[in-house]
Amino acid sequence: MSVIAIVALMVIVMLAGGFYVGRARAIGAVNGNTVRLHSLPNYHGYYVAIWTGLPAFLLLAAYGIFGGQAVERLTFSELQREASALNARLEERLLSDAEYEEFRGAALQLRERVNAIGDDMQRLRSARGEERDPARLEQLQQEQREALNSATAAEEAAIGRRAELVAAVGSEAEAAGASMRQLAGFELVQAPREQRQLFLSDAMQIANGALSSRESAELNAAARIVARYQDRIRYFVAVLALVFAAGGLLRTRSQVIPDFRARNHVERLITGLLLLSSVLAILTTVGIVFSLLFESIRFFSTVPVSEFLFGLQWSPQIALRADQVGQSGAFGAVPLFAGTALITLIAMAVAVPIGLLSAIYLSEYAGPRFRATAKPVLEILAGIPTVVYGFFALLTVGPAIRGLFTWLGFDDVVTQSALSAGLVMGVMIIPFISSLSDDVINSVPQTLRDGSYAMGATRSETITRVVMPAALPGIVGAILLAVSRAVGETMIVVMAAGQGANLTANPLESVTTITVQIVMLLTGDQEFDSPKTLSAFALGLVLFVITLIMNVIALRVVQRYREKYD
Amino acid sequence: MTDTSDTTSIRDAVSRQLPRRYRAELRFRAAGLAAVASAVGILVILLISILSQGLPAFTVNQLVLPVHLDRSVVDPEGDASEASLRRGAYSRVLQDAIRAEFPEVTARRDLRNLFGLYTPLNATRLMDDVLADPSLVGETYTFRMPIADDLDLYLKGRLVEDRTLATSGLLTISADGDALALNSSAPDFASLVEDAVATMRAEATALDARAERARNLAAELEGSDAEDALYEAERLSAQAQALREELAENDGRIELNRDLPTILVELSGVAVRLTALDANGRSASGEAMLGDAADISGAADWTLYVIDTPESRRRVSDQAIVWTRALEARGLVRTDFNTYLFSNADSREPELAGVKGALFGSILTMLIVICLSVPVGVFTAIYLEEYAPKNRLTDLIEVNINNLAAVPSIVFGLLGLAVFINAFGLPRSAPLVGGLVLSLMTLPTVIIASRAALKAVPQSIRQAALAVGASKTQSVFHHVLPLAAPGILTGSIIGLAQALGETAPLLMIGMVAFIADAPTLGLEGLTQPATVMPVQVFLWSDGAERAFEARTAAAILVLLALMIGFNALAIYLRRRFERRW
Repeated sequence: MSVIAIVALMVIVMLAGGFYVGRARAIGAVNGNTVRLHSLPNYHGYYVAIWTGLPAFLLLAAYGIFGGQAVERLTFSELQREASALNARLEERLLSDAEYEEFRGAALQLRERVNAIGDDMQRLRSARGEERDPARLEQLQQEQREALNSATAAEEAAIGRRAELVAAVGSEAEAAGASMRQLAGFELVQAPREQRQLFLSDAMQIANGALSSRESAELNAAARIVARYQDRIRYFVAVLALVFAAGGLLRTRSQVIPDFRARNHVERLITGLLLLSSVLAILTTVGIVFSLLFESIRFFSTVPVSEFLFGLQWSPQIALRADQVGQSGAFGAVPLFAGTALITLIAMAVAVPIGLLSAIYLSEYAGPRFRATAKPVLEILAGIPTVVYGFFALLTVGPAIRGLFTWLGFDDVVTQSALSAGLVMGVMIIPFISSLSDDVINSVPQTLRDGSYAMGATRSETITRVVMPAALPGIVGAILLAVSRAVGETMIVVMAAGQGANLTANPLESVTTITVQIVMLLTGDQEFDSPKTLSAFALGLVLFVITLIMNVIALRVVQRYREKYD
Repeated sequence: MTDTSDTTSIRDAVSRQLPRRYRAELRFRAAGLAAVASAVGILVILLISILSQGLPAFTVNQLVLPVHLDRSVVDPEGDASEASLRRGAYSRVLQDAIRAEFPEVTARRDLRNLFGLYTPLNATRLMDDVLADPSLVGETYTFRMPIADDLDLYLKGRLVEDRTLATSGLLTISADGDALALNSSAPDFASLVEDAVATMRAEATALDARAERARNLAAELEGSDAEDALYEAERLSAQAQALREELAENDGRIELNRDLPTILVELSGVAVRLTALDANGRSASGEAMLGDAADISGAADWTLYVIDTPESRRRVSDQAIVWTRALEARGLVRTDFNTYLFSNADSREPELAGVKGALFGSILTMLIVICLSVPVGVFTAIYLEEYAPKNRLTDLIEVNINNLAAVPSIVFGLLGLAVFINAFGLPRSAPLVGGLVLSLMTLPTVIIASRAALKAVPQSIRQAALAVGASKTQSVFHHVLPLAAPGILTGSIIGLAQALGETAPLLMIGMVAFIADAPTLGLEGLTQPATVMPVQVFLWSDGAERAFEARTAAAILVLLALMIGFNALAIYLRRRFERRW
């Protein structure tokens, strides 16, 4: 059992002991006549127990969350120190190595040339009138591609040469009898960023006795350092936690006297805990806004906002090599907005009539028996996971639609179409609209209906001319909420709408939506610096803002309407 | 109302309009009923389509083969130690077992096809069996393994269209060079000849129609596109022409190829695939697929087995089907309940893929959600409902919660990715992170339900508690909370059910990986890579093998069963403890 677990157990024991100590001391202070106490003895016990356990456990939790990172940092800096001599030697070698300098100089020069051509192209693009010269632009593009290719080649050569030198310095040092720790530090510092992470996590794994992805003498040396820091931090935290617990116990124990307001203290702590919980909701929103904003701002530093919001081309693949097809990613999100709008429109065309008519029938016509069975059945539709709807759209609705339209004489109807995704999404939203509208319709006062009947109106006339206008704001609110739901829905569209970023109004083609692209961009391997990954956060921000606006309007509308009749 | 003639004219006008108004009333009512009926109907269609796709996956066709665990093969070191048993050549044991059933198969290619009747992963399962019971070494052991997924579908009748035709004549088979000549005393092949001719004619007509369409397209297009289309049209016409000519040649003798239905002649232990049909309907040529077919004369007990799906349009070869049918006839194929579906984690081979890993992942994730969102949600609700002073901050919290409830779930996934994984450095794909994200997502649901439950407790309870000297906190925790507990519980369970079915945010935090090992049910399982039920559904739904379709539907059924369980519990609790004041 680990030290921390033992300490946690000890703290729990002390906490329980604290409760009894506090209680007993309170009872003892008044010689068993508890009426003389300000608070019940249990509250004294709680008070002592809380101050015994709380700080210690907070410390242990902090260790649990940040301990690993702290060990990693300390190990890294120690290894860096160890390797400083080797690093200095490498720097020297790099400076004196003519080949490396040549490659690096060439790479820098070529990069500059690429940028210069890029500037020229920018100027040509924004040129007007006579200055426009498409042929020249094309030629520049060609030149830029070539320059980019040779720049990449030169950079690779420089990196390769550097790696050679690193290996040479490393083996020389090894031959000269450098310690494993020096070598480990050297390997770590010279490794590219992502391999550093791997090196450190491997060292951690070895130190913990778990399986690592590889093993070497260097790693073992690093693991020993990791183990040393781990032990130090662990024992430090363990001792500190015990000191906290003991200190808390002793200090609060001495506070227990008959007049001590233990209950008020405990209750204040409870209230604090309650307030803390409710602040978490705000923290979540803050977290959402900030994480989306930060990454979006990083994205917008490479792609201008206007291009993102109004561009007509969406192909977020960034080329690894310069000569790759579609090399510069295009981040014009209009096709995504259009696709989202198209699918939402189809979904609403299904959900609004069916949901609204169902709500009307259930609240105005249906008998209590029918209502009692039909309502839960509709609610089942709301409880089905969206991934199930996606599967249904993909395997049942999609092929059915393709069959139908092929039979009607359309060519090349695809299975993954906006229509199938929209239809199924509409089904998913039916219960949403029907239950919200049901509430709204039910809250229209009966007197309005009675008045209408008294004038000789039929039921349907009463509904369409009196109840509906009265309920309209609420229903509009419900529909807005449903739209925001449809816009943010992910799984159905991911599975059934396809991925082609087509800018089309034809529901039989496959379209893509904001949510689909977020999923596409963020599943699989990702590096956090490329605009491709960051664009997902920009899309998320757009999605969040759209839904937020609709929710705020809808909630306002519904609230105002409620106040009118309450 | 002053003039009688006016009144009568109004009355007339009203009664003239009445039938129309009543009809409108009826229409409106019917529309309402139709809306409800269509919603219910869609639900029924959805459930039926998933049931019909998913139920077959709960059974599996297994090969039940006697395998001889030869000591020299299974135990290379000869000391029956675990290390030695692990080095045994179990795939050879399986291969020998299946070769013993079809000794006539010797060519390398045929053998490879034969070993395709099962997935090689079964060798590992055999090894596990032997490791569990080393006394099996040297014995002959009856080993059950699932048949290859496509053949499983074939046996369930979901892969091909097929029929068996009875025959009336006596069959004589004689060798005719490399091929076999088949003769029947009655025109047993006549209907097949007609079918084949009709199929080929239909094919020719279809080709013509496509050629015509390509020509029309060519007329609309310009430049090289038009030329391409014209070329395509010519090619299609030529194909149609070739088909027609083939029909006219050879005195009506029809050569069967991979694009036409497969016809098998089956008699005990022997299967012959027909390669050509004579126009007279009595004789045909064929090739042996199973057993020794030469020199059979006057056999009466034979059948024609027709696979209407041509070989070129299905994933299993004629030969595999023949072998499978032979094994079935010998009683070596058994239909069992599919335990693999529950005892295995994910696998690349559909017949061995199961939901265990996803189920465990879901359980771990839900544990986190229960431990986080329920207490925090209830505390928040108590604070807002019982303690909160009416001020800016509480208003802000309220508006916030209402908005959070409507934030798309995928945005929570982005939050999890940016905060928990990138900023806090928690592991990707872990149930811990999934649980955290889903907790934040369900929090508003729990808060709103708990607030409603607390609100429903009448004020008099609080006042009574305060009147006898309880403090605010005592009145809330001793009196109000217990009375609100059933409502809170119901709301929490519904929130949990919602979290259980959620997929999108988990895709963001990497729970979408292929994970072949189930996480351990315990604290360490929280940081192991895992996936959850709905994500498993998503992963399988675009699996390449067709058998994954059935698995997906089966996984959906398991998921729905879980969710129905959750919701039924919520309904039960509501019924059992509900109190109206």
